[in-house]
Amino acid sequence: MTYVFQFGIVWDHWPRLLGGAWLTLQMSGAALAIGLVLSVLLAFGRRDGPRWVRLLIGGYVEVIRNTPFLVQLFILYFSLPGLGLRLDAAEAALIGMALNFAGYGCEIVRSGMDAVPQGQVEAARALGLSPMRCFRLVVIPQAVRIAWPALASQAVLLMLGSSLISAISVEELTAVTNSLQSTTFRAFEFYFVATAMYLAMALALRLLLDALHWLLFVRGRPAERRE
Amino acid sequence: MAPAAGLALLAATTPASAQQAGAIGTLDRIIRDRKIRVTAEVTSPPFGILGRDGQLDGSEIAVGRQLARDLGVEVEFVQVTSPQRIPSLLAGRADIAISSLSITHDRAKTVMFASPHGALSIVIAGPQRTRIASAADMAGKRIGLTRATLEEATVPGIAPPGTNIVYFDDIGATIQAMVSGQVDAAGMSAFAAKSVAERNARAGIETKFTVRTAFYGAAIKPGDYDLLQFVNTWIFLNKQNGTLARIYEEKTGVPLPELPVI
Repeated sequence: MTYVFQFGIVWDHWPRLLGGAWLTLQMSGAALAIGLVLSVLLAFGRRDGPRWVRLLIGGYVEVIRNTPFLVQLFILYFSLPGLGLRLDAAEAALIGMALNFAGYGCEIVRSGMDAVPQGQVEAARALGLSPMRCFRLVVIPQAVRIAWPALASQAVLLMLGSSLISAISVEELTAVTNSLQSTTFRAFEFYFVATAMYLAMALALRLLLDALHWLLFVRGRPAERRE
Repeated sequence: MAPAAGLALLAATTPASAQQAGAIGTLDRIIRDRKIRVTAEVTSPPFGILGRDGQLDGSEIAVGRQLARDLGVEVEFVQVTSPQRIPSLLAGRADIAISSLSITHDRAKTVMFASPHGALSIVIAGPQRTRIASAADMAGKRIGLTRATLEEATVPGIAPPGTNIVYFDDIGATIQAMVSGQVDAAGMSAFAAKSVAERNARAGIETKFTVRTAFYGAAIKPGDYDLLQFVNTWIFLNKQNGTLARIYEEKTGVPLPELPVI
């Protein structure tokens, strides 16, 4: 008995799929924003903070990077209520994604900062710039430029990883796809279309981040300094 | 482009059906290979659970084992979650789905049901502090449901406006949400509710009201008439000799009701 493809059924439910994709983008965008800020703060703390802060952040990074993201989400959503803190599904998902991103982002930003030649920092201080201004005007711009490709990859991973928040009942693209395929029994059609939608979103995100990189670091610069 | 890609994938994914055209039937293949693949849920008490020793246990698991025994073959359980029960069958990853699939019109359009071998009722259950006496009381509350189950198909229809329905991918997650307080109440089979209540005495889980009752049966891929006929005959025989009743009562604690025939 051969399988008859029926993509028309997918089209019937297109608005729901679009709605799910929109929620994916919203959650990912918000988590990325929070995660980036957190990454920079954690990176700073891990490089220049007192010993106990460095140890604490180091421990946090190791826990995040060595445990499954899904388990992290389950702890936030299912286990915390037992300790008295009940988070909404969306809250737990947002916090989970941001914390997870920051675990990786911290290391990426930190290595970007490490890659800025120490001579630059010394020169800046010698010129009278305060540590704060030195960090803000000399270190961060160069560190971000160096860390950009890795951060962009991590951002795309964040967006793709957002499919896991369907397991804690957030109705994003994967959740909607699962529901639709289970009621229409058109698993192949729906998963195929969902894959195509994720691919499109990931490529669009890539393009956006590359354009941003060009705007921030390439446009208007002399030819020999372009990376 | 889509049709071309579809055709290419169609060619790649139909070796099994190409064999079936005039070739060996499913029942014969199962007997020849000495193995029948049966779907198994592991977070659906009392139908399919993971026993204390890590072995599969539950009434549907027992039915699957008995079927294999009477067929004279080995059973291989294919672990699935609720939304995957029928897709696994249709994709050929399992020969038969014995996972408390309630018989509904929608499902009957895509699979062939054998005569029912059990019955269940869907209830709304929740902790004592949640006050729900009937469907109308669900307004303004968070109700958890599992995707691709009978409760997912029926509860939204009786839920009043203002009910916040929350979906999970498997029964275990739904139960966890109810026990941890992430949802005020959840839809599940009466047996699951009883099982959860017994294991979580502190949470004080109780059944609020019954949504509907249904008979469940084995699902078989459309076209496998030989397997369907054997399963129906097997159900007839095991109703007569009391095996089905014994398994059901042992695992659910309730006598098997009178089973109609399709």
